[in-house]
Amino acid sequence: MLFRDQIDFVRQHVKRNRMRVFTTILATTMGCAFLIVLASIAFGLQESLKNDILSDSAVTKIEVYGNDEKGIDQKAVKAIPNVQALVETTQFNEPLTANVKLENRSGSGEMVFTNFKEQQKAKIKLSAGTYPTKADEIIVGYNLGQNLLTKKEEQSAKEEGKKEEKNNKGYQHSLLGKTISLSFTLENEEEHTKVRQYKIVGIGEKPSKEWAMDTSIQISDAMKSNILNDYNGIVDKKVQEKDFYNVSYNAYATDMEAVKGVLKKLKAMNLSVYSVTEQLDQLNVFFLALKVGLIFVGTIAVLIASIGIFNTMTMAVTERTREIGVMKAIGAGPKLIQRLFIMESAYIGVLGTVIAIIISYIISFLANLALPKILDAVISDGGIEEAGIRFSTIPWELVVIASLISIGVAVLSGWRPARKATKIDVIQALHQE
Amino acid sequence: MIHIQNVSHTFTIGKKGSEKKIPVLKNISFEVAKGEIISIVGKSGSGKSTLLNAVAGFLKPEEGSIIIQGKETTTLTESEYAIFRSENIGFIFQNFQLMPGLTAFENIELPLKIQGIDKHRRFEIVNKIIRKVGLETVFDHYPNELSGGQQQRVCIARALITNPPIILADEPTGNLDSETEQEILQLIALLNESMDITFIIITHDEEVANIAHRKFLMHDGVLKEVVQHAV
Repeated sequence: MLFRDQIDFVRQHVKRNRMRVFTTILATTMGCAFLIVLASIAFGLQESLKNDILSDSAVTKIEVYGNDEKGIDQKAVKAIPNVQALVETTQFNEPLTANVKLENRSGSGEMVFTNFKEQQKAKIKLSAGTYPTKADEIIVGYNLGQNLLTKKEEQSAKEEGKKEEKNNKGYQHSLLGKTISLSFTLENEEEHTKVRQYKIVGIGEKPSKEWAMDTSIQISDAMKSNILNDYNGIVDKKVQEKDFYNVSYNAYATDMEAVKGVLKKLKAMNLSVYSVTEQLDQLNVFFLALKVGLIFVGTIAVLIASIGIFNTMTMAVTERTREIGVMKAIGAGPKLIQRLFIMESAYIGVLGTVIAIIISYIISFLANLALPKILDAVISDGGIEEAGIRFSTIPWELVVIASLISIGVAVLSGWRPARKATKIDVIQALHQE
Repeated sequence: MIHIQNVSHTFTIGKKGSEKKIPVLKNISFEVAKGEIISIVGKSGSGKSTLLNAVAGFLKPEEGSIIIQGKETTTLTESEYAIFRSENIGFIFQNFQLMPGLTAFENIELPLKIQGIDKHRRFEIVNKIIRKVGLETVFDHYPNELSGGQQQRVCIARALITNPPIILADEPTGNLDSETEQEILQLIALLNESMDITFIIITHDEEVANIAHRKFLMHDGVLKEVVQHAV
């Protein structure tokens, strides 16, 4: 029998028992949709956490720490295959404060020395401008402008007391191309370092988190020795350089797949390392276990639905005993009879699964739309909607897994009734009314 | 065409431990030539339907040999027999055995569908046979919309559709009135003559039995040729 004729044959019989088949499809749909929606929670939460982790830093970034006072051998690290850049960053600690002045505004920022060439090699993105090429050119953080206040603004902010930084309007225009004055003071603000002028040629990327503020001032490490001299002029001679700044190293791999190899090499060099991918690996293991568990629970629902398919198919075979006898008498072999019945249960499985997938996507969409609002209304300091947490995600892998389980179980449910159909005795079947 | 030699079969009845064996076919042998019509008459329970089932392959006789078209059929598997049947044997049933959910046309084309013949070819073949058995006006009717005679014509058309050399008919006019019975018998005779089809007809109706070239009597599982007809 041609495949198209087999499909027609199955559809004719499904049509004849519309109501019974409909309820069986409904049960399959409910089972499969339950499986997908349940597992989608694990997928959704994993995605939310993954995005949260990845938004903090680049996936290819590896933090490298020396295990002794000598620090790290930069040449050796750069020589590791697939390391495209090694960025050394020097960050200044309290009690030293960087004072920034622009026009009639002033404020503070966190000052760091860095190697712009290496940053460029690492492909660290800017929201505007370019990387500095001269020693007096700098990159500033996306939110530095908000920290630059006029005296009047500063006064009113003090009056309002605990006004959050985030609410400061500060400098409203672009800082790109502006020249700022920069000096440093100790905590008591009694002594100032020499005031130096810097031209802003680049603005850092906007922080991925709504609440985060980037007020950094990135200066070329070519200026480091000059500024250290300025420092040494105002700090207590007993305080050593290394006490007021710390150096950190970030290696950048060529791509995400190369990170593991680079990490291995760095560890072999007796260096301490941290990469977001290691955190992701742990997260993935946890969520893999969670997903397997939830899919298992969902499969139980599909198995319950399969009882319905088994029942429907057994009834179909019993009701069609005479027809099966006639089919056999006019030349249908046992394999064809078996195939037709398995196709019928597969038809129920496929239709149920397709409807379940559509319903699951609708439920997932509605859950992601409504749940954050509901939870924010219930929990006073929620902020769930703002945080962009996804409660349910249905990736194609989940659709494939659920479809295979659902259709597979449907086919298995129809297997025994189909076998029973092949064993029907033609003589007895033809004597049935 | 058909060689049946020393075919015997028994049915086992009763509960386990107290089973009883009843012989239904006792050492039956006969031959049927191509284009011949033979009829087997006998009382109910004489074993005539069992013999037909053995020829059709629905039942494997315990002893003996059944050779059809030069092929020993008692050793065929169920799947092999299904293919053999679809190519060589057509059936006419007493109660027509039509599929209630299919129209006359669809019932007739079913054996062709099973053989995997494409739609266009099926359409041609079915239309030809519909004209031959006179169902042009009712081909799109469902079985419950047809008279007994029309249903039997559909059954005959379905038996003929694969162009088999042999047709087995079990009480072909058993459910028909005498007028319709005559029409069906004439059709069988016409098909035999025009298409050279071999018929084995099981009946207890003498009038039906008389259209056969040879007539057999079945009594308590024993087959005897009783009359030689000249048609």
